[in-house]
Amino acid sequence: MPCMNAKQRRFSCRWVLILACATMLLTGSCLVSTASAANILKMGLLQEPKTLNVWRASDRWSRKVVGLMYQPLYVRDPETLKLIPWLAAEPPLFDEKTLCYTVKIRPAKWSDGTELTSEDVAFTARFINEFKVPRYRSKWNFVKKIETPDKRTVKFYLKEPKAIFVSRSLTTPIVQKKEWTKLAEEARKTKKPLKRLLNEKIKNPVSSGPFVLKEWRQGGFLYLQKNKHFFGTGKKIQGRLLGPYIDGVIFKIYGTSDASILSLKKGSIDMFWWGIQPGYIEDLRANPDIELFQNEKSALYYMGFNLRRAPFNDANLRRAIATLVDEDFIIKRILQGYGIRMYSIIPPGNAFWYCPDVPRYGEGLDREARIKKAFGILRDAGYTWDVPPVDGSGKVVNGEGIKLPDGKPMEKFTILTPPADYDPHRAMCGMMMQEWLRMLGIPAYSKPMAFGALLQQVKVRHDFDSFVLGYGNLSLDPDYLRNFFISTNDKKRGWNMSGYNNPHFDKIANESASAMNRDKRRNLIWEMQKIIIGDVPYIPLYDPKLIEAVRKGRFTGWVQMLGGVGNIWSFCQLKPM
Amino acid sequence: MTESDSSNRMTAKEKYPWITSFLEGWSIFRQNLLGKIGLVLLIIFALMAICSYIPPWISPMYNPMTGVDPEITSCTPPSLRHWLGTDFMGRDILSQLLAGARIAFMVGISAAVMSIVLGVSIGMTAGYMGKFVDTLLMRLADMIMVMPTLLVVLLLSAVFGQLNIWTIVLIIALFRWPGVSRIIRGQTLSLKQRPFIEAAKVAGASHFRIIFMHIMPNVLPLAFLFMTFRVTSAIITEAALAFLGFGDPGTVSWGMMLQWVWKTGHMFQAPYWLLPPGICISLITLSFYMLGRAMDEVLDPRLRKEDQTD
Repeated sequence: MPCMNAKQRRFSCRWVLILACATMLLTGSCLVSTASAANILKMGLLQEPKTLNVWRASDRWSRKVVGLMYQPLYVRDPETLKLIPWLAAEPPLFDEKTLCYTVKIRPAKWSDGTELTSEDVAFTARFINEFKVPRYRSKWNFVKKIETPDKRTVKFYLKEPKAIFVSRSLTTPIVQKKEWTKLAEEARKTKKPLKRLLNEKIKNPVSSGPFVLKEWRQGGFLYLQKNKHFFGTGKKIQGRLLGPYIDGVIFKIYGTSDASILSLKKGSIDMFWWGIQPGYIEDLRANPDIELFQNEKSALYYMGFNLRRAPFNDANLRRAIATLVDEDFIIKRILQGYGIRMYSIIPPGNAFWYCPDVPRYGEGLDREARIKKAFGILRDAGYTWDVPPVDGSGKVVNGEGIKLPDGKPMEKFTILTPPADYDPHRAMCGMMMQEWLRMLGIPAYSKPMAFGALLQQVKVRHDFDSFVLGYGNLSLDPDYLRNFFISTNDKKRGWNMSGYNNPHFDKIANESASAMNRDKRRNLIWEMQKIIIGDVPYIPLYDPKLIEAVRKGRFTGWVQMLGGVGNIWSFCQLKPM
Repeated sequence: MTESDSSNRMTAKEKYPWITSFLEGWSIFRQNLLGKIGLVLLIIFALMAICSYIPPWISPMYNPMTGVDPEITSCTPPSLRHWLGTDFMGRDILSQLLAGARIAFMVGISAAVMSIVLGVSIGMTAGYMGKFVDTLLMRLADMIMVMPTLLVVLLLSAVFGQLNIWTIVLIIALFRWPGVSRIIRGQTLSLKQRPFIEAAKVAGASHFRIIFMHIMPNVLPLAFLFMTFRVTSAIITEAALAFLGFGDPGTVSWGMMLQWVWKTGHMFQAPYWLLPPGICISLITLSFYMLGRAMDEVLDPRLRKEDQTD
């Protein structure tokens, strides 16, 4: 540039420098962001979490996210499923004389850098008892006194022996005293403190887990970043060296499985954190970029009856229906083989507590034999028909006009199920049951209804005949058996939805709750299962298998366990490839 | 042809004037290609609906709802045994498709008839009575017209649980009459100024008689025309409801079939299951629409081509 003077040259040089610096900065920042993005796990969810308030998080989407932030004292080992110390430093010590459990906790910090002490643990328990937090109250209301001799030791004194204390109470997430004290004080000033606490919007939760909240753009995504104060980082627990080795987790919300699976196939997400429907499996299996995991669940899907009203207050009718319901058909065809047949309320995978010696209605029988057997049960109990389902020559025909033992015709009744939109399997089960019962002349009508309305009708108003529901995540401790059928829980919003009332069962159930000897407790639990399956307030149907899909080549270290690969161990051990 | 034959025929035409008008209409309809295609399609679907009773009679495994092939437990492509393949449980897709045709006709025609009966009655009453009655009925029609049918049915379903097919038909009918009533009201307003209505009034005929004996015969062709369009909208509404999971679970409709494909994850894996109900919904609605367009031409001389009006 011959005509350029010195001033112009200086000006040009300055601009070139500025541009070069800007380019370097931009490139650098891109590289940084690219490196970070590579270390961030992208998870697909079907729905957005409703809340990050740990006390209110009852929906599964909130629980998935909250579970990565708030940690309990003990967790399950992924292989043995035994409870192992997590925030606790060692197994709890139990003193039988004083009914006192002593728990030592690890050196740990909250995500704000403050120390996690025994005071936080004691505060959590007292908080639950004071405010009667619904999901946790029954696990703590038998604790008489809590002491904190030092900042690493907590002593829990029980009112009476409780077998569930370790497995249910000590697996409660611990919250920070500093954060919740203020909220509790404000709540105490209101007329409905619990409501106030449950409605509290927790925008920046202080937690102790491997991840903390970075950003939640509602309707878009939720971003958890690595917690630099996580107590497990660099430690070996149960022989597993914990991270987290990833920088964070982004949860993207998709409305449907189709959209989520397409995103997974395209690589927009690394994992779809939800069970894959059998229809997608073949396609995903053929995709070289996708890895499928199959794990069992601790779940119970069942048909329940309203024992408070006729005709289901008659055990013979319930046994006949149990004979007609073809669980093998359901598993083989509706679940496409991705399920385990349930004979008892406790899944067979929970081997220690599962009682194999319970009545097995209709096992191995074909449809015709089932109808004949069910017909026999009802005929012997005094039921009559206008057209019996088995004619004089022993041939099965369509039964019509069934009458109760008192001679009154059986009225139409409904089988309530969640809609196909919510759970196609249960909706289809209801439909098939309707048809099977009609073959015997039983006027059954399947009625899918919105899940919330269904729960309201069954659990709150007790206004139903029968229903098909399920527990997708049953605890490994079998105390739920007592909760589901003890007569004291036959109340509005109570767990005993069927209205089962058996004093003998109640007695054994209460004994089992306070039996501290595992073998003695197992005998009682087995006895309870025999009584329940004999009386059939619920017909156990199936325990579905969980198929999950992840993208290959991005992260390694998924830990398989009961309930799937989306567990705390995976999140603490996943490494970018 | 003798003279007496001719006089007999004239007598028959005079005796049954509707035969003449039908034959005239039919000759116009025959020249309309859209109408002919629509009619052929409709006949095919009607045959499908009639044939839906045959498969379960051949074997229980062809029962569209409960029948399963004992040897098949998953989704399989078309075969000799199952011409359109099987669904995820081993049920025959062709049987379901045939049963779906029956449901489509039932829903479409029932809902359309109900909405036309309501729409014609209300439209005639509003047009004939005028004043306050007219204002009241037409504002009611406006209110219902702006309500989103699908959303209301979804809400009702959420409140009362799953609705059965007849409730769905009734709701569709209750939300689909205002359009018809507006057209019929307009026609009635024009008719009531005609001399024959005045003559009927002078002769002492009651309002009821004038509306149903003198006005109704003149608006019925228009009502039938609208019925074809109402059938289409009823079929689509039912299919949408079933697809979204709010249909009657006890019936095998095309919408329900689509929902099963979707919910069981076979949307992109089983085209032989996804396409037939989708195509059938499109074709049956198209056939009613084509039929409606052709009837429009028959009833409205202004729409006819010159050579057809000669």
